[in-house]
Amino acid sequence: MRRQAKIARLCRSGRQIAMDKKDIRALLSVYRADELSADDPRFEEARKEAESDPDIARWWAREQELDRIIGEKLQSTPVPAELKAKLMRKNEVAFPTRPTWARKITLLAAAIVLLAVLFSSWRGPFQPAVSLADYRDEMVGFVKVQPSLELETKQMPRIKEFLEKSGAPMPAAMPKKLEEMEPVGCRTLRFRGKNVSLICFKRREGKLLHLLVVDRAALSRLPRRGAREYATQGEWMTATWTEGNQAYLMTVQGDRATLDRYLGTS
Amino acid sequence: MADIDFERLVEDFYMPLYRFGLSLSRKESDASDLTQHTFHTWAAKGHQLRDPAKVKTWLFTTLYREFLAKKRYAERFLEAEADSQFIEPLHVESSVVDTLDAAIVLNALQMLEDRYRAPVTLFYMNQHSYREIAEILEIPIGTVMSRISRGKAELRQRLSDAAAGEDRKVVPLREADRNG
Repeated sequence: MRRQAKIARLCRSGRQIAMDKKDIRALLSVYRADELSADDPRFEEARKEAESDPDIARWWAREQELDRIIGEKLQSTPVPAELKAKLMRKNEVAFPTRPTWARKITLLAAAIVLLAVLFSSWRGPFQPAVSLADYRDEMVGFVKVQPSLELETKQMPRIKEFLEKSGAPMPAAMPKKLEEMEPVGCRTLRFRGKNVSLICFKRREGKLLHLLVVDRAALSRLPRRGAREYATQGEWMTATWTEGNQAYLMTVQGDRATLDRYLGTS
Repeated sequence: MADIDFERLVEDFYMPLYRFGLSLSRKESDASDLTQHTFHTWAAKGHQLRDPAKVKTWLFTTLYREFLAKKRYAERFLEAEADSQFIEPLHVESSVVDTLDAAIVLNALQMLEDRYRAPVTLFYMNQHSYREIAEILEIPIGTVMSRISRGKAELRQRLSDAAAGEDRKVVPLREADRNG
């Protein structure tokens, strides 16, 4: 508590009081490195300490990296697919209102009907309930932060062998361009109870291309056979298609033209 | 103020607003309601905003006010802070970082105390300066900083706890197999 009180005094006064490493770390952890507060002399002092002390510099770099990862994960939280359409229909939107008794009874009746419909259409635990948008959000959120690979190899046969042993789906038909590219490695994931294969390829620019394969029964709202669905996720472009019983998601950091180069459509 | 295209506004902000709402309310349906209410309010009153640069802050403030109104927590948020206190957050092992996904992060955020949840969420959404966060939450900037400091420390603890025993949504297959 004494240390906290000292930092609190520093906060209020802005006076130059010698800080120990713990004080400096506490102070630096609150600030973003790219948003310096010019009117805050304490931060400047702590930053100078970080520049002259390699331990603190390393610690602060790790802190910022962790904050970046947490932020990216938060920003990959799926958003309901229908929300945007609802918002766009601004004149028709049923905005939340304080429920009256009549409204409550209507809502209850509607809920009972909905439950009855859901119950009558229940086909067991393998009912695809997850939309493509959810899957895409989560997978892109995952690859954005450079996932560690379970197998690093340039040899596709070894990747196939690894995926087969792991019980994860092996891509039955990859785009021709990918077959000519050098893989970096692969890993397996679980998505809502289903196995997903992730294979990473090295692009000419030095960046990676990610191909994710999952059983198509795991997802709903997939593009029709022979069609591709493109979608952006921030700086990432994705293409999704189906082939046989598998759903493919390919993603790169870049625009659609970049992705099309690897899909063989440009 | 020059007309702001409604569709462009929705396009730019509905996702971060929904995520902020989800972190606050902990329920997807409430987050959707809060987002809709925010744009509904914009449609009705947005023309009163004189400074176009304030649109983003206005939207987040509107959502936050509606959340407070619904939860009747306003009085609690008006309590004075005991002191401006910064604390060093817990070190998080790289093995824990590797296991993080959107669901774990959101769940840990939603478990934070109310007073920390909003500023820490806005901090990690990385769309607002500290000054804007203070404007959105209508609290002094010093209070924002101390809440972010304490909230981050609490979040780190919860992420570490989650990694130690969480039944994860996306996990390496081998780990999943080990867990049965």
